[in-house]
Amino acid sequence: MTLPLTPVWFVALPLLLAFASPLWVRLRLLMPLLVGTPAVLLLLALALLPEVRIAPLVETIVIAPPLGIHLQLDSASWILVALISFTGLLATAFIWLGDGESYLRDRRAFIFLLLLIAGCNGMVLTGDLFNLYVFLEISGVSAYALSALRRDAPALEAGLKYLLIGSVAAVFFLFAVVLVYLQIGQLNLAAIAEGFAGIPGPMQILIGLLMLVGLGIKAELFPFNFWVPDIYQGSHPVVAGLYSGFLVKAFLFVLFHLVFLLLADPGVAGAWLMGLGAATMLVAEVVALRQDDMRRMLAYSSLGQIGLIALALGFGAEATTAGGLFHMANHTLIKLVLFLTAAVLMRSFVSARLADLAGAGRARPLAAAFFVLGALAVMGLPPLNGFASKLWILKGFAEAGVFWPVALVLLAALIEAGYYFRWIKVLYEPRADLPEARAVERWGYAPIAVAAGLIVLLGVAPFLVDDLFIEGAQALLDRGAALSAVLGAGS
Amino acid sequence: MLAFLNDPGVLHGIVVLGTLILFFIGLYGLLAKRHLLKVLIGIALMELSVYLLFIGLATSPGETAPILSDGLRSFTHMADPVPQALTLTAIVIGLAVLALGVSLAIQYHRLTGRADVASLTELKEPR
Repeated sequence: MTLPLTPVWFVALPLLLAFASPLWVRLRLLMPLLVGTPAVLLLLALALLPEVRIAPLVETIVIAPPLGIHLQLDSASWILVALISFTGLLATAFIWLGDGESYLRDRRAFIFLLLLIAGCNGMVLTGDLFNLYVFLEISGVSAYALSALRRDAPALEAGLKYLLIGSVAAVFFLFAVVLVYLQIGQLNLAAIAEGFAGIPGPMQILIGLLMLVGLGIKAELFPFNFWVPDIYQGSHPVVAGLYSGFLVKAFLFVLFHLVFLLLADPGVAGAWLMGLGAATMLVAEVVALRQDDMRRMLAYSSLGQIGLIALALGFGAEATTAGGLFHMANHTLIKLVLFLTAAVLMRSFVSARLADLAGAGRARPLAAAFFVLGALAVMGLPPLNGFASKLWILKGFAEAGVFWPVALVLLAALIEAGYYFRWIKVLYEPRADLPEARAVERWGYAPIAVAAGLIVLLGVAPFLVDDLFIEGAQALLDRGAALSAVLGAGS
Repeated sequence: MLAFLNDPGVLHGIVVLGTLILFFIGLYGLLAKRHLLKVLIGIALMELSVYLLFIGLATSPGETAPILSDGLRSFTHMADPVPQALTLTAIVIGLAVLALGVSLAIQYHRLTGRADVASLTELKEPR
């Protein structure tokens, strides 16, 4: 029997391995499989890339005709799937090699990490609205549990807060799904896209608002993102890196995918999302200035970049969308470096507060150097990758003759420089009574170094991946092609 | 006397009205109550109202269960099975999330002795 290489493995493999976890404990394979699963998924993504670039892969899992479920892997969702697998690979490698906290290395963490990957992959790939809800809840539940893993008061508080706000988001999204089904009688996204224009106007607006609240909370857009810094602060930095790295990106992708697919003219919705993105960016960057906990500061910085991505994707032009997707990938690499560095610093000094980390750069020069690299990249300094993608986005806006986002992005970068340099200055401050740093495993630096290497590589040579993101943007924006790929050429 | 209820329009109107009232009771519980368990109950009520709305509006009076048996050999006058399948799935998911939430709340209470949403203040803005 041969197992065909199809997109379903991106969901099925992590699910199967997660539920067979008692076996892996007995065979002492837990850690190798934790790292191996995202590695295999990344290889699978790379193997499927040549096919995806020719035409989107649509896989139909038929239960009993005509009932079936679509998974669609096109150039846009490929970027997200590859990003999820790669981020998962680096973060799990850090957990394994870094020899860190035991609660991240046991069976429960194994299950939740793999379920998070499965849920995000499913959300990005699915072509069915109700499946989207199920995957949204799978990734949600595993994220709540991951936040609360440490089981002390801050971790439980983070888990509880995440669960409360996440369930409210899920209820709103479910409400929208129900209304769509009652109106159209279909759950296939392509079929819904065809029928959506036939829904009465007020109902369209109600569905849109419910989806915006549901996915806006999950995608951390202003004004639904008040809860985010608490969660990032209470969770382990590696877990927070996963949230910032791919969980938010998956929700953001789903939000824009629905906008571009369902609406024949995404102009109005796009303008609203641009406004929300701009507000997210500015508010988050300003509030980040006064944070004195590294995880909280990084959370706000992450929100700022999410806002920038929403701003770029909402504009809906090919150049800004491609730049936005590129920035998604770049921001993931950057935040991975920063959050993993935060994990190393927290392990060394048992605190992530500004005052306790004074002079930490002298005891942990390598970690501080990675922090500086990540900070410079997030600000968008050449020759790092943040510069390449921000330039792409700004060029897209300038070509379209729209200049207010350009001004806002530059202003945000300026504020970013303000607070990141404050942290860098404190890290390198001379200090006589530097507390003894607790030992950290040297191998833990290896995943950070890989991400840092890519930050530099993509900054120096963005032309290596240009085509991928342009094709991704075309796939995301081209509604007609997406519909005919599922429904057949006649539609 | 209650024959007017067999009119789909009337029945669906009652369903919409009732579920919306239930939804807003849940929303009130979510926003106004401070005990963690009551907040969770509020969320559960909101979920339930969405399930009820779905099932209530997807079926009309006179439709039978979508099962072929006992002489029923065709798909006429049957309720649409998809909403029922979806609602079952959603109930299972909702139950799982609720159970996780309650267990976290209980652990938090055991650890700190607090069960008040307003007392979740370990993580907050500086100053």
